[in-house]
Amino acid sequence: MNLPIDRRSFLRGMLNGAAVCVGLPFLDRFLNGNGTAFADGARLPVRFGAYFWGLGLTDTPTGGTRWVPSKTGRDYEIMPELESLKPVKDKVSIFSGFRAIGDGRPNLVHWSGHASILSGVAPATTGRFDGPSFDTRIADAIGTSTRFKVIDIDASMSRQPVSYSTRTGNTFATPETTPLALYTRLFGAGFQDPNSDDWKPDPSIMLRQSVLSAIKDQRQALMAGVGKADQIKLDQYFTSLRDMENQLAIQLQKPEKCAACAPPAAPKETPRSASVDAVRANTRAMARLLAMGLACNQTRVFNFVHTSGTSETYIAGQSKIYHQITHDEPIDAKLGYQPETSKLASLVMEALGDFLVELDAIKEGEGTLLDNSLIMAFSDTGYAKIHSIENIPMFLAGRAGGRHKAGQHIHSTGESVTRVSLTAMQLVGAPVGEFGSGTMKTARPITEVVA
Amino acid sequence: MKRYLIATAVTLLTIAFPGSAIAQQPSRSAKWTKTYVVEWNEPAMHYGAKTGVIDPGTDCPNGTNPEIDWIKVLVDAGYTLEEARWLRNPANPTRSPVHGQNQMAFRGKDRANVYVNPTSTPDPGLAPVTGTIGEGVNLDGDEKTGFTGPTGEKGIDNNFYKCLGCWKTYRGPRRLSSGALQFNDSMRNGAWTTVIVVAGEGADPMNDDKVTVGIYVSNDKMVKDGNGAIARDYTFRIAPHAKYEGILPARTSNGKIISTAPADIMLRDPGYTRDLELLRAQVNLEMTPDGALTGYVGGYRPWEPVYKGWVNARGPVIEVLTWVQLPAVYYALRRNADYSPMGTGGEKTHISFALRIDALPAFVMTPDASKEVASVESYKAIAPKEADKPALGTYVVDGIVPDRSGKFQAGPNAVILPPSASATNKNQ
Repeated sequence: MNLPIDRRSFLRGMLNGAAVCVGLPFLDRFLNGNGTAFADGARLPVRFGAYFWGLGLTDTPTGGTRWVPSKTGRDYEIMPELESLKPVKDKVSIFSGFRAIGDGRPNLVHWSGHASILSGVAPATTGRFDGPSFDTRIADAIGTSTRFKVIDIDASMSRQPVSYSTRTGNTFATPETTPLALYTRLFGAGFQDPNSDDWKPDPSIMLRQSVLSAIKDQRQALMAGVGKADQIKLDQYFTSLRDMENQLAIQLQKPEKCAACAPPAAPKETPRSASVDAVRANTRAMARLLAMGLACNQTRVFNFVHTSGTSETYIAGQSKIYHQITHDEPIDAKLGYQPETSKLASLVMEALGDFLVELDAIKEGEGTLLDNSLIMAFSDTGYAKIHSIENIPMFLAGRAGGRHKAGQHIHSTGESVTRVSLTAMQLVGAPVGEFGSGTMKTARPITEVVA
Repeated sequence: MKRYLIATAVTLLTIAFPGSAIAQQPSRSAKWTKTYVVEWNEPAMHYGAKTGVIDPGTDCPNGTNPEIDWIKVLVDAGYTLEEARWLRNPANPTRSPVHGQNQMAFRGKDRANVYVNPTSTPDPGLAPVTGTIGEGVNLDGDEKTGFTGPTGEKGIDNNFYKCLGCWKTYRGPRRLSSGALQFNDSMRNGAWTTVIVVAGEGADPMNDDKVTVGIYVSNDKMVKDGNGAIARDYTFRIAPHAKYEGILPARTSNGKIISTAPADIMLRDPGYTRDLELLRAQVNLEMTPDGALTGYVGGYRPWEPVYKGWVNARGPVIEVLTWVQLPAVYYALRRNADYSPMGTGGEKTHISFALRIDALPAFVMTPDASKEVASVESYKAIAPKEADKPALGTYVVDGIVPDRSGKFQAGPNAVILPPSASATNKNQ
């Protein structure tokens, strides 16, 4: 029997009296001759991640930058605080000079910068965004065919969980904060090894799905009978239910085989400490788990917080925390910058280097997982000493399946940070033509990095 | 039609505010006006070093007041060494990464809160400026007292600089001290806007014996150009304000604007105090050839609100970030206060001060935006009632932010060490 199938086809049948549909793996016949794209020209799945760290990088009013290269384009030099990105330099684009523009709203310290980058508008109050974070738009576009639409991770070891991903602007995602919790989420109960030959749909999942499906009609009736505020709350609640339904539906399909997927062993619980070395180790451990989660196609979108805007990290044995040092350390007259702050910024960047190297270590097709990903790494501030929201460091890492002309330094003094955000959205295929509001509204991606 | 509406508005004002000058008689237009927006303002702190921001200089021969050994301070206040180390340990759950270690407040006699009761501890000391060069205005008219200005003028009164000029927050080259950077960045990003109107009755704005300077707030935010600098020639409406307004009589001489009589004014402070009340205020400004305005507004400001401003900005945070013991600021301000509106008797309540201002040409409109201002006049009578605002948005009580969970309460009787203290402190 010669079935007319393509990569979107499902095998449909009945199981224990219930209809099931089974997806197909990435068969060779679906791919082009090089194994770099589907035969119909569509690209292999691209993953997107937002990576946040607090307190910016060292750049002073007297010109003592430690991260902005003097050259633009492909021949940019690696600056001291970006040394850890050297192994993946050709896969990272650096954006300098971009700023958050408040349109008269005051700079809410350690908040306005990343809120502007993520939501496209300077927020009115600390603790809220004035719109959804753009990762949710990407998740809606590319995250619906995996077990998890998005995975939120906080490696900061902060006293309170940190996430800047929001659909409403008011409530933020609940992140996984330890390697063990992340492992359990990705590879614990409910995980289906995509390479297993004896896969069977889980009847309990089928039951749960039918239970959720049964409330759909009541949901519509309920929505019609409440006020607007409650409608918003219910809509948010039902959105999460829809995500769960989608997740359950995917778990009823035989997962696509993933050559790079090798489920790891469960990590041990680690003692909590916000010291730089502990956060770095946490970042590395969670990056490794996340990378395998991506390789095993558990999710295509993630948010990763290395440290919060008001970073709690410190060097073990010292009484000062990094945040305090950024503010109290004077600029060294001879060096032209804050030496201790710069040292800590370099340590923080080492964690980003570790993170990207973990993604680059996983082979996928002819490239690596990083080649098929786009990570937007950014901070909350430029010159942290004064909470500046100008020249906020932003990077795009990974080739986004070939769409990102990576390895460049783009400098654009005074341009809105939303241009980088829009570029990221378009590079991973989110159907977004413009982003932001007020002065930060833009329909201009940074075309220099778009293939 | 527009004239009719304006006339109607004036009539209504007359009814609402029968005693106000603006209501009783429409102001007469000046012969000339020049209008500006303040793009930078900072306490006038002359930096006496040639490089850096903390280096030794003629102002502070030993450089900026040094970083403080807080463990020693706590031990001197009666805490054990183990307790002091644990209090300063970032892993200590009682030390908030955002609001600092609240127990730092309780280092006075019998562990009194030194922020609200600074005299409960001896003066920790704050090295003053010992140089002779200072910036500002000769407030008392006496050339024998005060500093000598950078260009040689005598009698500059600025005891605020004298007592706090070596504090890291204020010390640094023009526009580069950490405090100035922080507050001006906030202002330039929209926290507040100050506009200046200079109006004269003579034919030559550069040399006019009858000039008035008006300083107002605007609710219109400054606009930055592509390089992040404040753009010139934008339009700002005066926002009548019940407190923030200053009107000063002056004259011009070769473009310099010099006060002819002191005036009591209140401006928006580029600092934690928020209110910058200046008694017997005077200006020493200059209209520069590029159309800008630069110089000083000086006067005597009440010193205690300055101290409280720092305390309410969260004492434990301010102390460690700015390398100061706040009781030392209290003692220094009190010791150097040099004016009291109550007369010569008793303790001085005010201290001589100068604000250094850089302003750019701008269009300044009347509050109703119907026309450009054509004179300097008071708008206080039509200002909405000002609601009291806290110095910070953060919940601060007696200089600290109490732990809302109730789990970690600082105080005179707080238990400092955790049960497993010795194990926890091994690496400290």
